[in-house]
Amino acid sequence: MKNRKTTPARVMLYVFMFLVLILMLVPFLWLVLSSFRPNADLFNAPFEAPKHLSFDNYIAVMKSHPMVLYFLNSVVIAALATVLSICAATLASYAMMHKFRTKKALTVLLFMCLFIPTNAFMVPYYVMINKIGLYDSVLGIALVYAGVNLPMSFMVIKGYMDTIPLELLESAKIDGADSGQAFRKIVLPISKPGIVTACVFLVINSWNELLFANLLNQSDSSRTIQVAIRSFLTTFEANYAYAFAAMVISILPTIVIYALLTDKIIGGMTAGAVKG
Amino acid sequence: MKKRQTLLYMAPAVVLIVAFFLFPLCYLIYLSFFEWNGLGEKIFIGIDNFKYIVSDPVFRTALKNTIIWLLAALFIHIPFGLLLALILNRKPKGWKFMRVMYFIPNVISTTAVAFLWYFIYHVDVGLLNNMLKAVGLGRLTHAWLNDPGTALVCNIVPFVLYAGLTMIIFLTQLSTIPKELYEAAVVDGATSIQVDLKVYLPLVKPAIITNIMLNLAFCLRTFEYPFLMTGGGPANSTMNLSLYIYKEMVGANRYGISMAAGLVTVLLGMVIMVFVNILQKERKSHYEK
Repeated sequence: MKNRKTTPARVMLYVFMFLVLILMLVPFLWLVLSSFRPNADLFNAPFEAPKHLSFDNYIAVMKSHPMVLYFLNSVVIAALATVLSICAATLASYAMMHKFRTKKALTVLLFMCLFIPTNAFMVPYYVMINKIGLYDSVLGIALVYAGVNLPMSFMVIKGYMDTIPLELLESAKIDGADSGQAFRKIVLPISKPGIVTACVFLVINSWNELLFANLLNQSDSSRTIQVAIRSFLTTFEANYAYAFAAMVISILPTIVIYALLTDKIIGGMTAGAVKG
Repeated sequence: MKKRQTLLYMAPAVVLIVAFFLFPLCYLIYLSFFEWNGLGEKIFIGIDNFKYIVSDPVFRTALKNTIIWLLAALFIHIPFGLLLALILNRKPKGWKFMRVMYFIPNVISTTAVAFLWYFIYHVDVGLLNNMLKAVGLGRLTHAWLNDPGTALVCNIVPFVLYAGLTMIIFLTQLSTIPKELYEAAVVDGATSIQVDLKVYLPLVKPAIITNIMLNLAFCLRTFEYPFLMTGGGPANSTMNLSLYIYKEMVGANRYGISMAAGLVTVLLGMVIMVFVNILQKERKSHYEK
């Protein structure tokens, strides 16, 4: 595109781009700003230049609820789910580099699972997790996340491993490496970007999930931050400013991860999407 | 690699798939033929659960609304994402920045987004009503989420608007299209819009298929928007399948009915998947010609 003239069409394009940007992000800016304002101001002067900005709402929320515990629960669940799911998906993707009888069937099965609306499994998951005694525990929620997200992790990681030439494995075999060595020394390093991308997706998905975290939780000991802010909708009915502060706390980690790993996330989409 | 070793590598994934997909699916089908309150005895009642949901107006609304969600994804959300991608694909100044910004809402939890929009639509403190008042359109202010006429649309708006992920999938596909095609078309005198329609659009078909599958799967699973913004109300006008399953289970303790609705949801997902796969096959044979 050599001739970049400022034509009316080009101006329109920029106007449209900025309009979309404003529409998408202004609500979030409003949320962040509101979380620093006293509740009374939100009702009385929603559009005045905010005069009383303070951390009061945040302090109040932290004092009235065990936010640190909820936060830690979310971290532990996201970490456990990610480790479990990614390990299983990586090993399976490596196995898929080899020929075996049920390979085709298993690939199709995993692909189909990607599109099964797992929300339909509320009762089975609830009964299963109860039966193995993990109701109201972080482990129970993490297990469900690991399972539900496995097809997605598998697709991302397999997408990467598919780009590894099989000759590499052949030559490693000739050099006397066993399958475990080939996996650790060759396949794992090459597919690292794919694994990292899958990890980021899993952490974000697990952090953000509400339905199963809500269904399998009873007490503070396993309550995630998402379930907590949901309960704020009812308990903070009158004080929206507190609720806003709680929401900002819940959003912050994913925004930080996104800011740090933008390239990994957006670049990682490339691997899976191109194959269509 | 020896057969036994391969199986060993597959084992963890197979265990997870059996535990969280195959077994639950069988259990779901089994339960849908029983009357059960979650604690007491399960009573076999044949297809009575299905008879009940078919005649339940709430279930019908849930099914209808889920289909409206699917249609909104197909005809508004995906075209919007494609439009954004085609615009950024022209590489205007700052396109990389825009790409990063448009994606932000997609990393934020649906819980927070639904909660945020609940407040945007709020009668008193809401951004929407206050904006309308500020620009002198006070007569248009509305109890958006309390009116059965507007509640469902209000539920769907944030999903339709946050098309960042859809856009990225299109952009990725667009970036694989060789530059020569664009240049050749320009030499032949095509305008930018003609290039978009005649060159790029046919070549992003694989991304369209991917997006249709991902977004339809998302719509079948969507739960947070109606659950947090309206609780399925007013007058069940925002009820969808996920919320119906949840309410029959947690609210009404009718596990059998909940699972009958679950089975319908799973079947709907499978029908869509088969249909999209047929589309994909047609695309492939089209290429081979």
